[in-house]
Amino acid sequence: MRFSSFRAALALLLLLLAPLSLLAQVQYLLRGTVRGTDGSALPGANVAVPATGLGTATDADGRYELRLPAGRHRVVASFIGYKTATEDLNLRANQRLDLVLGAGNELQEVVIEGSGTLEQKLQTTQMGVERLSAREAKLLPALFGEVDILKTLQLKPGVQNGGEGTSGLFVRGGSADQNLFLVDDAVVYNPNHLFGLFSTFNSDVVQSVDLYKSGFPAQYGGRLSSVVDVKLREGSRDSAGVSGGIGLISSRLAVETPIAKGKGSILLAGRRTYFDVFTRQINKLNKDTKDYNPIPDYYFYDLNLKANYQLTDKDQVFLSGYFGNDVFGFNSTRGFNFDFHWGNRSATARWSHVFSPKLFTNSTATWSYYTYNIANKLDQFSFGLGSNIRDWNLRSDWEWRPNDKHIIRFGGSGTLHHFGVGRLQANGGSFNIGQNVEYDGLEGGLYAADNFTVNDKLALDYGLRLTGFQSGTNEYGGLEPRAAARYSLTPRLSVKASYALMYQYVHLVTNSGASLPTDIWYPSRLSVKPQRSQQVSTGFSWLIGSGQFLLTDEVYYKWAQRQIDFRDGAQLFVNPELDQEFLFGRGWAYGNEIYLEKKQGKTTGWLGYTLAWTKREFEPQRGTTGINGGRAFFPTYDRRHNLTLVVLHKLNKRVNLTSSFVYTSGNPTTLPTARIGVQDVYGGELQAVPIYPDRNSFRLPSYHRLDLGVVYKLKPWRKIGGESDLTLSIYNAYNRRNPYFIYIDEVKNEETGLPERYRARQVSLFPVIPSLTYNFKF
Amino acid sequence: MRIFRIARISWTIGFSGAGSWRNLLAGLLLLTLPALLTGCGLQKDVDVELPAEPAQLVVECYLENGKAPELTVSETVPYLSAPAPTVLTDVTVTLTGPTGRVETLLFRPGRNLVTRKFYTHRGLRPLRIQPGDTWQLSVKDTKGRVVTGAATMPATVPLDAVEWRFNDRPADERRALVTVKFQDPPGVGDYYRFQIHRDSISGAREVDYNPDDRLLDGQLITLGTSYEFEPDDTLFVTLYHLDRPYARFLQSVDDAQSANGNPFGQPAAVQSTVQGGIGVFTILNYQRRQIIVR
Repeated sequence: MRFSSFRAALALLLLLLAPLSLLAQVQYLLRGTVRGTDGSALPGANVAVPATGLGTATDADGRYELRLPAGRHRVVASFIGYKTATEDLNLRANQRLDLVLGAGNELQEVVIEGSGTLEQKLQTTQMGVERLSAREAKLLPALFGEVDILKTLQLKPGVQNGGEGTSGLFVRGGSADQNLFLVDDAVVYNPNHLFGLFSTFNSDVVQSVDLYKSGFPAQYGGRLSSVVDVKLREGSRDSAGVSGGIGLISSRLAVETPIAKGKGSILLAGRRTYFDVFTRQINKLNKDTKDYNPIPDYYFYDLNLKANYQLTDKDQVFLSGYFGNDVFGFNSTRGFNFDFHWGNRSATARWSHVFSPKLFTNSTATWSYYTYNIANKLDQFSFGLGSNIRDWNLRSDWEWRPNDKHIIRFGGSGTLHHFGVGRLQANGGSFNIGQNVEYDGLEGGLYAADNFTVNDKLALDYGLRLTGFQSGTNEYGGLEPRAAARYSLTPRLSVKASYALMYQYVHLVTNSGASLPTDIWYPSRLSVKPQRSQQVSTGFSWLIGSGQFLLTDEVYYKWAQRQIDFRDGAQLFVNPELDQEFLFGRGWAYGNEIYLEKKQGKTTGWLGYTLAWTKREFEPQRGTTGINGGRAFFPTYDRRHNLTLVVLHKLNKRVNLTSSFVYTSGNPTTLPTARIGVQDVYGGELQAVPIYPDRNSFRLPSYHRLDLGVVYKLKPWRKIGGESDLTLSIYNAYNRRNPYFIYIDEVKNEETGLPERYRARQVSLFPVIPSLTYNFKF
Repeated sequence: MRIFRIARISWTIGFSGAGSWRNLLAGLLLLTLPALLTGCGLQKDVDVELPAEPAQLVVECYLENGKAPELTVSETVPYLSAPAPTVLTDVTVTLTGPTGRVETLLFRPGRNLVTRKFYTHRGLRPLRIQPGDTWQLSVKDTKGRVVTGAATMPATVPLDAVEWRFNDRPADERRALVTVKFQDPPGVGDYYRFQIHRDSISGAREVDYNPDDRLLDGQLITLGTSYEFEPDDTLFVTLYHLDRPYARFLQSVDDAQSANGNPFGQPAAVQSTVQGGIGVFTILNYQRRQIIVR
């Protein structure tokens, strides 16, 4: 659909709002905010009136709204890591009730959520969503003790990782570039450090993460497979504080302080690894050793800033910023210098305004930037290589609650992209090459959605998103309907269904199985049309065991068009005709996810099992035989079975025990089945060249791993009101040698130097790795 | 020498395919991870059952003007099978020139003492080939397997200059770099192979990479090495002008080898220049200078 059709589509969008029921009931509106005692807003907190079975969750600014019958009520508010607050009231008119939750044990919290939380999950129309708080992630054992919220998400059903220890996400058969990562509404294009071993999200400043796998709300768009919406926490409005941690490979520090007499706060946090401190010392000690190759320098760091200020009772402003870099440097004693930097930066400014209890809005401006640069020098030759993507985004989001049956959300956004697809600068004694491939793109979206509670049993959530993209003379657009429904068979059993259509206008240029810092983003232009996917899902949620357990089962089917891959030997770097290297195909995925969770009591956790299939097909095209001869194949992230068990147990006031177990089928891979001998123009050494069969026709052995953790709370520092803990993590507790990859090795005769035999070798990445982290807060 | 390998890989990034790029990243990881992998016993032999595919004919044939044609024919073998040289005795090979004249290559296994290359079939007389000439290849065996191919001799690209320069280090560290200059013909799509052999043309290659003119179309191109040659080294500097199928074959062989053992690599099929089997049939056109750096 072209932009010229925008007007008609807009009319259609507005028509959606027409059939709203305006029926009102004799009820009153209870609204307010939920904050911690330090004044910080608590998004996702639960507010419920247990006697009525009614409840809700706070929005991103900690606001809630409940419509209740007149009379006496007991309102209960709860949030992970905070003490539950209870207020009694006699509701005789619309009323405001702000709730303040006392601090729980900040550092070592057993996950205790309000009883309404599972009920909310039972009642909501939204399917395929996982909400995770940083506190949950912090409790779980982590590789090298580095808490990583993305790796915690990998423990949820339907989410696969990109390989041992990596934080890449592959959601319901989607590839790594089909996830939309948002940090306070700003897009993060590469959420990884160190080739994906760590994510860019510092758990000290993350408040919560929402992962949407299906039934995507209409306000989200731009990626096919998932939305990972990360909200950073606000600093304390009550008192200044410092928190941090000292770990095996990095340290963290966060400082927060109230401003303007508690009307706002500022939070500044940073972390940095320190491999380089040790490797530099080792290099220094060995600098005179003959033939010593120095160990390369590597480190990464993150800086986060979050500030908020309450302008008036109805207006708040927020500022949020991120700056992170990975730095890899190598200086050989033989004159070869190599510097490799990559990193994200982002900034968000948001103004939240409440027009009335029924209408409020958020206006947001964001800026995102991802870049990598490589500079190397060898004798007289020097090279500079790089790529980047930069976004300027404006968006306006509105929420209108005309009555207790409807929540209407609408808004729009516009993004100006700049794609620095490739930059090359080469200099030698007698030559100078410069090449730059750049494009601009404009992406827009309008949406409207209605969450309609039809009656006690039936709730609908339907909406439409209209999107468009322009790059040069190329224009694309599309309508993205979204729909979800929940029907309560009994008060404890709901059945649900959802449908979503998604477009993706920007594409990641990568032909490796992992997310690398050198991946390039490319706009839809010329022959590269927008990717498109549709997903249907259905399932049930069943509250069992006196409401302590929620059993969820979801079946999904997703099909996607214009999926992207590359021809063999594609020239992906600094290629003005890069679009000619793409191959286009289709993909489909289906599966069943079973999820049993418990969030109350001393022992909490979840059990998840996924049975899934993912396939892709690229038919012969552009003078090639396609991929895999045009036959469908399993991508590397296809996993037939995936089982996760997470248990958190509060042993006593001081000790929490945690564990997680993962089992997945081996990932598909391609091993050479045959070899040929090639002599080249001049003989000498006969090279064995592998011949590969169908892509990914071999499966690695299955993967399983047990991680254990203990969080031990130390005695509080009463004088300064501080507390600290020691967190012990044991990654891969039974030292399983999980396969990272397999290759075929040539064994040569030591005397003749001729090949003697060939053998298959399996490489594993991480053995058992214990780590200790010290965390503090005062 | 790993460092210099990485250096050379990074030098060719601007010119060659994606495989080199992955090599670089794999190289970076290999610089950092070997202690972890080997020190902790994280590698082990495993038994894998690789499916058996029907054997295909493999041919390798490089024609040159003024030289008798030689061809090596073999077949694919299961990867994990033991190395055992097998010679196919039932293969007939013919070449057809631009005039339609057919040359039959006889089954005479041997080794070319100049190139040190083994061959199975050889022509009786030298061929006369001009740039632009197209030759056809036909390889058949008694099992019904047929491999065919066609190759056209690329245009001659003269070497404008071969130069060398020494660094300013003390005498025992004094090394020279070598550069070649040549004029790229107008029009994108020229592929080159730059080689330097020390002492003998059939010895190990000191320098070998395959640039193209994608970023330098129609320009005076300079290719070079690092400071790596010692005083009085005798060097054979060769610049091949390749046709596109042969350039793709070379790149794909490199990609296929790199993908084995590279967790970031995608398996790459060998892009044969022939049909019905695997391998390469091409006509070489190169310029060569012998120099002594001093």
